[in-house]
Amino acid sequence: MNSLDPRVTRLPLLDESVIKPKSALDQFGTFEVFVEPKEGKPFQHEGCAHAPNLEMAYVLAKEAFTRRFTCTSLYVVDTCDVYLSPMTEGDKNAYDSIPEVTDDAGDKTSFEIYHLIKRGKQHVHAGSVRALNPLSAMAFAKTTLNTSKIVFNIWVIRTDTIRFTTPEEKDLWITLPEKKFRDASEYKGGDKLKNFLEKTN
Amino acid sequence: MSELALKELLYKMADDQLIQGHRNSEWTGMGPLLEEDIAFSSMAQDKIGQSLALYTILHQLGERDPDTVAFTRNASQFHNCQLVELPNAEYDFSLIRHFLYDTAEAIRFEALTRSSYEPLAQLAAKIRGELRYHTLHANTWIKQLGSATPESIERLQKSLAYALPFALGIFEESPYEKEIIASGIIEGEQKIKEKWLAQIQKILAQTSLYLPDIKIIQPIVGGRIGKHSEHLQPLLDEMSEVFNIDPTAEW
Repeated sequence: MNSLDPRVTRLPLLDESVIKPKSALDQFGTFEVFVEPKEGKPFQHEGCAHAPNLEMAYVLAKEAFTRRFTCTSLYVVDTCDVYLSPMTEGDKNAYDSIPEVTDDAGDKTSFEIYHLIKRGKQHVHAGSVRALNPLSAMAFAKTTLNTSKIVFNIWVIRTDTIRFTTPEEKDLWITLPEKKFRDASEYKGGDKLKNFLEKTN
Repeated sequence: MSELALKELLYKMADDQLIQGHRNSEWTGMGPLLEEDIAFSSMAQDKIGQSLALYTILHQLGERDPDTVAFTRNASQFHNCQLVELPNAEYDFSLIRHFLYDTAEAIRFEALTRSSYEPLAQLAAKIRGELRYHTLHANTWIKQLGSATPESIERLQKSLAYALPFALGIFEESPYEKEIIASGIIEGEQKIKEKWLAQIQKILAQTSLYLPDIKIIQPIVGGRIGKHSEHLQPLLDEMSEVFNIDPTAEW
């Protein structure tokens, strides 16, 4: 019998050629998640979920992002389908770097526009435009959605790449207001500890 | 309709939801990926919440309070089908059970939205969104992994073959079946089973999985009359551990 003592019986030496570095991108891709906090309020970006495809991303994002705070809808899009303007700061508006529309002939499609108004906060849906491509969508948004507020960053997403919540699925969140037990503050841990200490002292 | 028949229906539904919820909660912290861990845990909470709603209806009908009913009975006093008490093994089995069980639950509660018994009709209407998500989650995973790789297909197919006789036990008929149907409370196990078969076939047809011939499968029944596998009592012992140490504890 071989000894179990590692000083006596060693692991076999490995041929170096069988040890390989972990390959890049060997995990699920990311999908951006947007949530509508209240009926009529704009959708806002909440983060991203890992998933093998758009439909799975919707299913997985639903609980990862909307299991606690009340909301009325959610949608997801592949991160690769989000187009970004350059990021600005101070009093510089991201729209300043977007060129004017020069040629808009051709079949236009719908794009969703998102603004980052405050650094460190989320991108919020600002509206929709019809355009030929993401850059011309930003150019149209510059004239139609660019208000007096400074926009630090613009996101553009082609509408037909988004997995929206269907009208029938709007009931997915109807019992959410009752699930306050998912909020840590509902446990009233401080009160329980105080009562326990009073009882035991 | 006799109150006994109504209570029998409520107990089997409540016990199904509680035991399935507990089993699903065992994946918390160990799900195959973070987002799925959260989703499966949330659905486990939903099921336990649904069992609480059903035990509360029973309490209003004179049964003991929900905690006492949930935590102090022995295995032979539970009316859940055996499918839900089976231990989790690999995730493929948990997904297949989730698919087979939740498809049946969604059909059952959809039928209950038209129930002559108002408390059940109201509950069914209230939780329709939760059930919609549970079936969306199950169907999406089955379609995904049922068409992904030879390994995922083989594993799901094996789990499907193992789970099916237990899944057919969901539809074990009540001794009050005719009474329940006649009083308009629910359309009965045979109707639910027919719809369930059509629905699982519809989803499986979109995958590389196949449904074994149901006609030659012997359903595993007995759960509705308190006959269980050896797996239920250890589950109950673990689930009621805190309650048994301190029945007044809040957590």
